[in-house]
Amino acid sequence: MGAILSIASTTVGEAIRRRVLLIILMIGVLLLSIIPSLGVLSARSETSTMIGTMFAVLRGTSALIAIVLTVYMIPNEIERRTIYTILSKPVQRWQFLIGKYMGAVFSLGLMILLMSIVMIILFQIFQRPEPGKLLELARQSVLYFIEMCLLAAVAIFFSTFVTPLVNFFLSIGMWLVGTVLNPLYDSIQSNQGASPAMQMVAKFVTSILPNFANYDVKNPIINPGQQIQNETTYYLGTAGYGILYISILIIAGIIIFDRREV
Amino acid sequence: MRTNKSLYVVLAVIVLAQGVLHGGFLQKFWGKNYSPGKSGVSAELSPDQIILQLFGFREFLAGILWVRADGFFDQGNYDAVLPIIRLCTILDPKQIDVYATGMWHIGYNFTDEDQRSDRRYVPSALALGKEGARQNPNTYEMFFETGWMWYHKIDDDYHQAVRWFQEAGKRQDILPARRNLLTQAYFRNGQVSEALDLYYNLLEAAEKRLKEDGQFGAHQQYATVENNLDTTLVRMVQRGWIAQHSPEGRAQNWYATGSYDTKPPFDVGFSAKATVLSDRVIRFEGTWNVLPIGTRVRVVLRDADYPRAKRAELDWDMTDSVSLDPPRNLTYMQDQLFVRNRRFNRKVDMSKDPTMYPFLAKKYIIEFYYNPRSAPPHIQDKFGYSGEGFTDSKFRNLEARPSVKFVPVGKDEKGNTTEWKLEPLTGLQQPVMYTSLEIDQDMVRRKGEWVDKTPVIKTANYREPAQGKEKEDIIMVPTLRAGANN
Repeated sequence: MGAILSIASTTVGEAIRRRVLLIILMIGVLLLSIIPSLGVLSARSETSTMIGTMFAVLRGTSALIAIVLTVYMIPNEIERRTIYTILSKPVQRWQFLIGKYMGAVFSLGLMILLMSIVMIILFQIFQRPEPGKLLELARQSVLYFIEMCLLAAVAIFFSTFVTPLVNFFLSIGMWLVGTVLNPLYDSIQSNQGASPAMQMVAKFVTSILPNFANYDVKNPIINPGQQIQNETTYYLGTAGYGILYISILIIAGIIIFDRREV
Repeated sequence: MRTNKSLYVVLAVIVLAQGVLHGGFLQKFWGKNYSPGKSGVSAELSPDQIILQLFGFREFLAGILWVRADGFFDQGNYDAVLPIIRLCTILDPKQIDVYATGMWHIGYNFTDEDQRSDRRYVPSALALGKEGARQNPNTYEMFFETGWMWYHKIDDDYHQAVRWFQEAGKRQDILPARRNLLTQAYFRNGQVSEALDLYYNLLEAAEKRLKEDGQFGAHQQYATVENNLDTTLVRMVQRGWIAQHSPEGRAQNWYATGSYDTKPPFDVGFSAKATVLSDRVIRFEGTWNVLPIGTRVRVVLRDADYPRAKRAELDWDMTDSVSLDPPRNLTYMQDQLFVRNRRFNRKVDMSKDPTMYPFLAKKYIIEFYYNPRSAPPHIQDKFGYSGEGFTDSKFRNLEARPSVKFVPVGKDEKGNTTEWKLEPLTGLQQPVMYTSLEIDQDMVRRKGEWVDKTPVIKTANYREPAQGKEKEDIIMVPTLRAGANN
């Protein structure tokens, strides 16, 4: 465990020093800051537009950070040959991989936390909502954090066997597909013209691929008034789903990385 | 570490577990509670819009598009507004303003040169309202707006307005004054007792609100409801409603023995003539023996085989899908013939709008229709709430509009009504005036044998007005109270 934590803390330090990540973070914060001025886009739904756009910026920026942060992690260590120094010590490959992933998760957590704080402060200044609303914003931020942990796991899995450039596009593609899986599945299920075979295929595909849409629960926050039963169970379920899927990707990554010649 | 076979087993178990968790619970829960809408992303989005949408900027994009639509609206470019409205509702089905404005725009703003609505759009406008209500079931607004479309624009089939206003009234966020409109829909649907009960409930609520909040709005609501309730009670007596429908009245036969304003039924003596003056220009003339001004007789000219046409209207509720393109090969004209000095005379020019009136069919029907339930209060004081004091010796019709109401039969898990069935209103008929005339394409277009001959079609009882006897610039102010057909 000590080796894992040591690798993780080194990774966090590296991540904080990487300029590209800081630039993305800065752009995200800037975008969040100008959102309150976009209220003119909606005559009566100013709050809806503001929350929706803020969440979109938070999610998009976090996804970009998660991918940029993780795609280079393993290849850089191999390219710079620093991995030999690490693996020559009593550190297993699986410990190295998990340590790297943990480092990415901590870094992501810090950056998402910073953006969420900015978002909540801006929302408080411009909308003066009830405290419950701010809690809802925070809750969605936590779910986005879990989503980004899953995305980081996807990227780190790919990084064990593809180049960073390919990984970048693969991860982005996987995230985009994963964000539309639920709406797509909904459309197919509600389409009476869709054949049972097509519905089966849709169910199978959505059960196999990582589903990022599960973490997007902003609609009731944007459009209040909806009564949702057993919401806590759902949150626990999505967290459990995230942990399960991350475990799959990390274990698969370990298997591949273990067999790889470095 | 060398790869252990047990790792594969663990992997397989976790894959299975996440699949079960996701497919068995998360996906269904998400679809039910967090899905932005069932509409899906339309292929009508441009690539940049799709990217924005995919990244979660749905509300932002809908906002930009809505601002763009506003610009087109100010320029009078109504056709360009339609697809944007549709895109906005697809992107953000929670933007009630877009639904409400879009519904109004589609239903009201497409008109011909004489400001006659293109009613071929009305089913789509209603479909948009229904979709808006489905997507926003927690607020009253789209239920109210859809009810208003039935009540005001369609001004017929009042059981539909009653249903939608009832649904709006079930939502807690409805404005107090907007609840009042359900009473008027009840009256027009012949449900007078329900209207009275609602007035008492509204009065109670208004009184309570007045005690809690002495603001002007609360005073105004209380005074309005109180005044309307008083008037209703007087009218229910004078129009013989209580005599006909209360248990005591029925038991003691009050209506037959008493003197009421609705007795004896007034014969409106309808007759009509249609003269095709030139290609697609028709003059409608006729008689209507009601002296007070203000009667509007509905005239409809449509393809004889117009799909899902009903008597003097269409099946407005015919579709749930929003089409931005009306059936351009079909003709449907609907107008009101204003009665003055017991006659109507109106020239309807359809020649300037060939896209609205293509006249491609061979056969057409001209329909004349009057429903006493739609009459203004001063006319209903004679005709009664449901046409009890109304008759026409030639064209009184009891089949054109059955007297019905919606009864809820199915609810979703949140308690919202999702299914209704139609039930007849027992002991209540809905007499209307209805007649139709046939006309063919050659006559309307003045082709073939009608190039030099003026087509004239009329009801058998039509009589030409006596020359110079009734000057149009003098309006006779009469009364219906006496009940005489003078």
